[in-house]
Amino acid sequence: MTDVIMLAAAGLSLGAMYALVALGFAVIYRASQVFNFAHGELLGVGAFSMTSLVGAGLPWPLALLVAMTITGCVAMAVERSVVRPMIGRPVFVTIILTLFVALLLRALMIIIWGVQPRAIASPLGESSLALGGAEIPYQTLTQIVVAMLAMGGFFALLKYSKLGVGMRATSTDQEVALALGIPVGRILGATWFLAGMLAGLAGVFAAMKHAMFGHEATLIIAFRAFPAVIVGGLTSPVGTVIAGFLLGMLEIFAPVYLGKHLGNFGRNIQDVFPYMIMILFLMVRPYGLLGTRDVERL
Amino acid sequence: MPRPLVTRYEDDLKLFPDVWHKVGIALGVAIVLLYPFVASASWLTVGNQALIAIVGAVGLMILTGFAGQISLGHAAFLAIGAFTTALLGEHYQLPFWLCLPIAGSIATIIGMTAGLFALRLRGLYLAIVTLGLLYLVAHTLESYQSLSGVGGQKFTAMYTTFGQSPDDMRDVYEKMAYGPIVLDWDQKLFFIFLAIAVLAAWAAKNILRSNAGRAMMAVRDHDLAAATLGVNPVRAKLIAFGTSSFFAGVAGGMLALHQRTITVEYFGLGVSIEYVAMIVLGGIGSVWGAVAGALAFVTLGKLMQTLGPKLPYIASLPTGLQTAVLFSLLVIGVLIVEPLGLFGIWLRIKRYFLAWPFRY
Repeated sequence: MTDVIMLAAAGLSLGAMYALVALGFAVIYRASQVFNFAHGELLGVGAFSMTSLVGAGLPWPLALLVAMTITGCVAMAVERSVVRPMIGRPVFVTIILTLFVALLLRALMIIIWGVQPRAIASPLGESSLALGGAEIPYQTLTQIVVAMLAMGGFFALLKYSKLGVGMRATSTDQEVALALGIPVGRILGATWFLAGMLAGLAGVFAAMKHAMFGHEATLIIAFRAFPAVIVGGLTSPVGTVIAGFLLGMLEIFAPVYLGKHLGNFGRNIQDVFPYMIMILFLMVRPYGLLGTRDVERL
Repeated sequence: MPRPLVTRYEDDLKLFPDVWHKVGIALGVAIVLLYPFVASASWLTVGNQALIAIVGAVGLMILTGFAGQISLGHAAFLAIGAFTTALLGEHYQLPFWLCLPIAGSIATIIGMTAGLFALRLRGLYLAIVTLGLLYLVAHTLESYQSLSGVGGQKFTAMYTTFGQSPDDMRDVYEKMAYGPIVLDWDQKLFFIFLAIAVLAAWAAKNILRSNAGRAMMAVRDHDLAAATLGVNPVRAKLIAFGTSSFFAGVAGGMLALHQRTITVEYFGLGVSIEYVAMIVLGGIGSVWGAVAGALAFVTLGKLMQTLGPKLPYIASLPTGLQTAVLFSLLVIGVLIVEPLGLFGIWLRIKRYFLAWPFRY
């Protein structure tokens, strides 16, 4: 039982990161119909700017906010410089472009922050909460709560604010939205900015999982979050969040309970487990957990 | 000389529509055949790498350029081909000319099996699914030392005939005389790879003008419309995926023969992206584009290795990333300015001269 609680906490915190990444990814897809393969690098931008900001002596929560804003701005810059000029061209080309933007962002990060691994000190230290014999670090709990708050805030924004209404209208039909006087360009920028902020938050959390983190640590989280997008249904932000948490939990439980029964294949099974789930899932529900079936006319 | 008016379907289907194509091909043949004798050792290696890249890029072009499916799993099929070749040599001492088709076939079987359900999905899902395939293949190879070798390294032996002992096999790496021509290992490899690359490009060109190829293009342009016209989109995609995997498998086998020592880590997402870069650089949708893209990618890669350390900022990056950055800039530039890549630029030049002295 103790094990289960500890694993569940770890799974939830991992799931929270996946959910943050997947949500941003899905929102961008809904707005621009683009798979943003540079999303993984945005996590890195968040994490590395956090190290600099904390190093500069900013209080922790403020540093987090600033790091998220910086990541959002980078995402917005990507949209402005690469995605916007490609409107009207085949989407396929834009997607390939994001792959190369990812490479450029990585290079930029190495130029700014170097290749040495860095660390983000946790403000809560090593203290942990005792719960039914299990020890759950406060850091894990805080991560889950903050991620939930961020996602809750995002959904509230989407549902109740004027910006959110604009975002939903734009994602449904850009031309109609434009005709109704919604500034589609600005809305797209805002969408990418918000998605970038979520990615930045996920990046900081992903980096905090390690004592020292390099460029790989945040990238891995992003690449494992992609399946969550598919499982959740590309068109459904809520679905991707649920799928993110689900995959996070499964990934933590799989190596413990499943891995040892699979022999050699079971070693490091967490590396591929999200993808295996995704492939199985696609066979049953190709449009995802909450995604809608495509209706298309000629 | 302007291209004669196309009045018959036969003319439209011709491989070499006019005399200029024939002149160009003849020139190309002469240059390519002389290349291994004039190039220095390091540039000969570049030539061999380019020929491998051509086979792989042509494969990806069939899937992405003709059938319009984005795949990030090309490296997985290269890996399957490479390790199949290595294992066949190790356990059965099979000659390389048999290993390569087998490597391609195994890649095809795995690709088609994965494709059976991956291709039910439309549009961009395939990119993510093939990404998963890439990780799954790497994970499977790494999990079993009998597949990936001790310490993740696998040596590839190149046998030329059946039943050769490993000691006889070493001759292939030596300098040998074939009649009046003396060839060393890299030169031998160049001619073998050249034959395979030409075969691959020719096969792709023929697929493009066959029924299957036209079905692929119809699916690329609008799969629903294609379906209403009687093309089975899943079938067309599956054929494209299978063919593409075959080419990738063969390219992987060639890579194993060329590198002689292969590792699982090499076949990562980076390699998949490199191949995407090649076809995008060359121009999506034509065999010519795949060949030109592969050639340009490998040659420019070599040039950028020397150029990279001389540039500000770029010099501070790790070597592998220097080339990647320069390429990213190049590809992004090409895509924003000329979406059809080198092929598009070539078309512009051709049109200019065809219309000369008029502007259009």
